[in-house]
Amino acid sequence: MLEVDDSNFEAKILKADKPALVDFWAPWCGPCKAIGPVVKELEETYGDKMVFAKCNVDQSPNTPTKYSIRAIPTLILFKNGEVFDQVVGAVPKAHIEQLVKKAL
Amino acid sequence: MPEDILDVAIIGCGPAGLQAAIHACGKKAQVAVFGRPEKSSLYKAHVANFCCYEKVVPGQALLDAGRIQAESLGADFVTEDIVETKFDNERFVLSTEAGKIFTSRSLIMAMGAARKKLRVKGEKELVGRGVSYCVDCDATFFRGMDVAVVGNESAAVSGALTLLGFAKKVFLVCRELNISKRLREQLNRSDVQVISDRWVKEIIGSDKVEGLLLTENQSLDVQGVFVELGAKGAMELAANLGVMFDAETFSFIETNKKQETNLPGLYAAGDITGQPWQMAKAVGEGCVAGINAAEYAKKLSELEDK
Repeated sequence: MLEVDDSNFEAKILKADKPALVDFWAPWCGPCKAIGPVVKELEETYGDKMVFAKCNVDQSPNTPTKYSIRAIPTLILFKNGEVFDQVVGAVPKAHIEQLVKKAL
Repeated sequence: MPEDILDVAIIGCGPAGLQAAIHACGKKAQVAVFGRPEKSSLYKAHVANFCCYEKVVPGQALLDAGRIQAESLGADFVTEDIVETKFDNERFVLSTEAGKIFTSRSLIMAMGAARKKLRVKGEKELVGRGVSYCVDCDATFFRGMDVAVVGNESAAVSGALTLLGFAKKVFLVCRELNISKRLREQLNRSDVQVISDRWVKEIIGSDKVEGLLLTENQSLDVQGVFVELGAKGAMELAANLGVMFDAETFSFIETNKKQETNLPGLYAAGDITGQPWQMAKAVGEGCVAGINAAEYAKKLSELEDK
């Protein structure tokens, strides 16, 4: 999965030619570990139509602040450089899949 | 304890944990059970549908009897919550609320399905915008801010102490605290401001948390609210180890017929694996988990001796 940070967020996500789902996570966060494999599975299914990326909030302080992230895991779906939708917390795969389908 | 390393550690002393202990002891395993019986959902229940008990039986009596039975077979009981689990060097490492460390060859998670939501106005709307259910995950986002932790047990108190390292001011909104003596002493010595005569009525804020409305119309200006009811549950203790959750709700630990999770040596039993919330299901799963965890530990220890 693509890893993004403060320096390449704009190029890789905001200027992407496809919708992009970003998983904001940190190594100390248990629920992030639970949701990680789920996002990976979705990438296997929808990876050709959408960008899947993860952003470690510990290494990229600016991007989470810009999007007012106060809890992780947070998944934000970007479309045309704008926030299309987002979901907070470890949620079932079907819930994220719905989000993905809505953006396609 | 005769040996430093446990064969089977069991988190949770409800029916699933007790039955697991009884069967693991039957396999001659070194067993310890962690948790507080009064937190089991059976504690206040009256059981009328458990096979072979014709009359209604109070849950507390069943839990008392189960503990005596497990103890007489050799199980040790540690009446403290587990606040951290790790997997290190082929061992499960558990830390209790009072800071004791235990290591074990296998682990059974049987701490039930705790209620995690406050169910007040503003809570659902402001999740991720100042409302959090995980101090360990989200403390870093509240540096220099004022925050409140809500809850009466070990998760809330240890969470409030953790937040002192990040936030400017930390309030603990609680009723009667149900924690170990050592944790209470740590709290008393700390800068956490304890509010024990009010409860949360509403979380205030339009697009982010701006404060709390407490009972008797007291308001509290905070930018963050950590809801930490009960002890640490499946998501906090299991997710960290890399346990798989059920696909449908993502709230319960996924197990197979042997009560194995996706991680070798880690088993789950009872409400934590999903519905139905029945004692009969819990003891059934506990029995299977206890036997299999003890056998796993035995094999592991034989390999170690070679």
